[in-house]
Amino acid sequence: MDQRPPMNPRLAPVFGSSTSYLFGSARRLWVDLALLASLGGIIFGLTRLAAEWTGTLRPVFEIDLSPRALPYYAFLSLSRGLAAYALSLIFTLGYGYWAARDRRAERVLVPALDILQSIPVLGFMPGLVLALVATFPTSNVGLELASVIMIFTGQAWNMTFSFYHSLRSVPRDFQEVATLGRFGFWKRFRWVDLPSAAIGLVWNSMMSMAGGWFFLMVSEAFVLGDRSFQLPGLGSYMSVAVARGDRTAMFAAVVAMVLMIVLLDQVLWRPVVVWAQKFRMDESGQADEASSWFLELLRSSRLVASLREAAASGGRRIARALPSRAPGTPSRGRSARAIQVVSVGAFVGLLLLLAAGSIGLFRLFGKVDGASWRGIGWAALLTLGRVLLATVAGTLWTVPAGLAIGLSPRLSRILQPVVQVVASFPAPMLFPAVVALLAAAGVGIGWGSVLLMLLGTQWYILFNVVAGAMAIPADLREAARIYRVPIWQRFRTLYLPAIFPYLVTGWVTAAGGAWNASIVSEYVSFGGKELAADGLGARISVAASSGDFPTLAAAVAVMAVVVVLFNRLVWRKLHGIAEERFSLTR
Amino acid sequence: MTEETSEPEILCEVRRVDKEYDQGGGAVLRVLQGIDLAVKANEVVALLGPSGCGKSTILRILAGLTQPTRGEVLDHGVPLRGLNPGIGFVFQSFALFPWMTVSRNVEAMLEARGLPREEVAERAARAIRTVGLAGFEEAYPRELSGGMKQRVGMARAFSLEPEMLFMDEPFSQVDALTAESLRAEVLDVWAPRDRNPRSIVMVSHDIKEVVYMADRIVVLDANPGRVRTIVENTLPRPRDYRSPGLLQLVDRLHDIITGMEMPDVVEVDGAAQAFEPLPQTGGGEIEGLLEYLDARGGREDVFRIAADTDREYGQVITATNAAELLGFVDTPHRTVVLAGEGSRYVKASPAERKAVFREKILELLLFQRVRDAIREADSGQVDREYVLELIAMNLPSENFEATFVTFVNWARFGDLFSYDETTEVIAPSEEMPVAG
Repeated sequence: MDQRPPMNPRLAPVFGSSTSYLFGSARRLWVDLALLASLGGIIFGLTRLAAEWTGTLRPVFEIDLSPRALPYYAFLSLSRGLAAYALSLIFTLGYGYWAARDRRAERVLVPALDILQSIPVLGFMPGLVLALVATFPTSNVGLELASVIMIFTGQAWNMTFSFYHSLRSVPRDFQEVATLGRFGFWKRFRWVDLPSAAIGLVWNSMMSMAGGWFFLMVSEAFVLGDRSFQLPGLGSYMSVAVARGDRTAMFAAVVAMVLMIVLLDQVLWRPVVVWAQKFRMDESGQADEASSWFLELLRSSRLVASLREAAASGGRRIARALPSRAPGTPSRGRSARAIQVVSVGAFVGLLLLLAAGSIGLFRLFGKVDGASWRGIGWAALLTLGRVLLATVAGTLWTVPAGLAIGLSPRLSRILQPVVQVVASFPAPMLFPAVVALLAAAGVGIGWGSVLLMLLGTQWYILFNVVAGAMAIPADLREAARIYRVPIWQRFRTLYLPAIFPYLVTGWVTAAGGAWNASIVSEYVSFGGKELAADGLGARISVAASSGDFPTLAAAVAVMAVVVVLFNRLVWRKLHGIAEERFSLTR
Repeated sequence: MTEETSEPEILCEVRRVDKEYDQGGGAVLRVLQGIDLAVKANEVVALLGPSGCGKSTILRILAGLTQPTRGEVLDHGVPLRGLNPGIGFVFQSFALFPWMTVSRNVEAMLEARGLPREEVAERAARAIRTVGLAGFEEAYPRELSGGMKQRVGMARAFSLEPEMLFMDEPFSQVDALTAESLRAEVLDVWAPRDRNPRSIVMVSHDIKEVVYMADRIVVLDANPGRVRTIVENTLPRPRDYRSPGLLQLVDRLHDIITGMEMPDVVEVDGAAQAFEPLPQTGGGEIEGLLEYLDARGGREDVFRIAADTDREYGQVITATNAAELLGFVDTPHRTVVLAGEGSRYVKASPAERKAVFREKILELLLFQRVRDAIREADSGQVDREYVLELIAMNLPSENFEATFVTFVNWARFGDLFSYDETTEVIAPSEEMPVAG
């Protein structure tokens, strides 16, 4: 970055400082101008957004399929995704903190999170839409909020799990330092808890963003009984394009989505990942030297520097203005008691909420007859079979590919960023193309839905295999080479055991994703007609769009139960074996 | 030297303190028993003991980080509630926040006390200068060596100017040369009587270190941790490692420790049915000790062995006790002597060694009982739970998980039983004698 023209060494002491100032400031000026311009753009966008949200209620927005309308739709979808992400972050910090720090609530909150993450977005849709549209009967706010929260349900849970686990595993020494240093709640949170969780939170945020995009089409255009809703956005654009069979528009939407993901990756996630490197706990200095041009740019900007300075001094002024009490004053006892009261109150509230929810759910169940239950059970078995098949198929190709990438530093350097972007792309946008290909090849949607699930979830396995392959100690690989272990045996005795713990993590995530994806892969609308395979996902989709709430509740509940049971009985067991027998760090 | 006419002031104190941990299933592991200890003004107190004797726990109880199960904790004569307000704490693992620079690590403590900004910066800079880290303010901990990290840990503790400095094995993860200078520097900071810290409490397993630093040495015994004796150290400061006085005191501590950890008179309880506690060491350690002795004419001072092999003395004593339990060595006073059985073991072939080891562990009741249970069982094997229960019933004061680990290690080493970690089943190995 810092290339300066060579200079007469004797002149350097005299002119060096002044010319370097010139070089620096020329670049900084450019950066500052660019930042100012984009700031203006953001402010303009926000006003448009506000107008969009507060406009009169318009359940079905008429989508313009001309490519010129796309940037604005993409902007709207992006803002929904970011709003949902902000919501997820707030939820994560609150829920995760509560679960990790309140022993009593933890016993309810953690299983509840397990259930929440197994509920597909359509399970939340009717309640959200009905309640929010009823709350804001005249403006778009309700509908927009419903859409944002639907995206949120695809993002929040894994972030919350990550944050909770990080908080539970803050090293004891750090906690003791915080206690001895008498850190108050805020200082402990900012200096100990949040930094300890930062890296996990950043990686999970990236995954969550991808998870949110996955259901973008569902979250922006949906049918609820006799009412249909369509918000202006990239997802709706795609839905309309698919419904009309407009290939050009479909292609344009895919390109717009890719551009949006690349932009987010470069301008948001890359810089955040690089910045988060400072929160590494392991002392071994050699981390992968990630870099981000955008972060470099921000760091070189004088505007950003002075803004940061202003923010810091403002923060100090606020901190000074706040009533600060000397440590060890008697109010500690009172505040501890207050916390106690609040935590018990919150816990009771939580239990009441759960009780009310269960009662409502059972009332709905009463309306489902025995034959429907049996049908749902059979459908659950079919979907379970598809989920497992998708996981197996994903494993078959990702293990060799992941090993090839992870074991070769060159390949992983080139492919890692590419794979990340590809994986963030919402697979449902490709479904129409894939369905068309399948139809041409004469494959029914029953088997085809396995492929559709695979499209969305194989990446989780691939990521984990790559990470596992990269973590294989060099000495083990050298030993295998020195003793001339043949490749197949090397695979069986070294690679597979070494990546097994990572593989299990990948399976858990991929299978969870496949269950959720079943609602869009077992029920695909294409060119004006619906393709459906019998399965739990299809039943949920049909029930939601036909407004059959008892069946919807029953199917969603069955899915949650199957997923949670499968997690408990199979994945957890495999995880235990992986930890006990194949962990390289123990 | 200031005159001290009356009794010296007591800064903090524990009285009749017990600490117990729940082992699960109603069993209780007692790590501390009846600890009485007072820290006076202007002294350096060292807690000395093998690892696992609970010395760090005593330090944490005095600091208010941990509550004792029973007993009193006093701060200036008043029962301590919450944290002890007047301490700085230096951690064995340094415990520096990796996301903060050196100066931020120090400043964070001061800011949390609500000091004004100027004072925070001024005090942090002073503390960093005191420990000789000027110039490293903006470095991150991962860029520093172990010794420099511990300097940051010390700066963090000094910056608050605490009345007492608590140090938990502060130099055990620092290279030997750096540790040398850090010890002297800590004493330099402590020495002026009119400045904080007034007293230092440190935990260590290094005998020379405590003799060099401490005025009083509290010798602790393990399982459960008890105060064995308190040795006054009146050697003049600054001390010299080679001075006869210091060497004599080191020698005396060696005697005290071997006197309690390696009793010459092995107790023969009338009840022959009592299980022998297993010293928690591996078969490989025992074998190594025997080889070591054989190569040195069959006898050596136990502390010499520790120094030679660069081990903590507690580990060598544990291995010695295990070897003695199996009849491989005798321990007159501080010396470990290879016994006849030990020589036989060393001279044997690998296969014969297994047989000798097997024969020896089968003299222990725990192994006999497990062997008998395996013979009686229809399946020809027993599970982990059975052995854990056997240990818990017969060795109630031992950590039964740890004893089980030792049991499995010895059984495998002697090729007596095999143990499958996933099925948790103990089965006879082919070599196990079938008939009694």
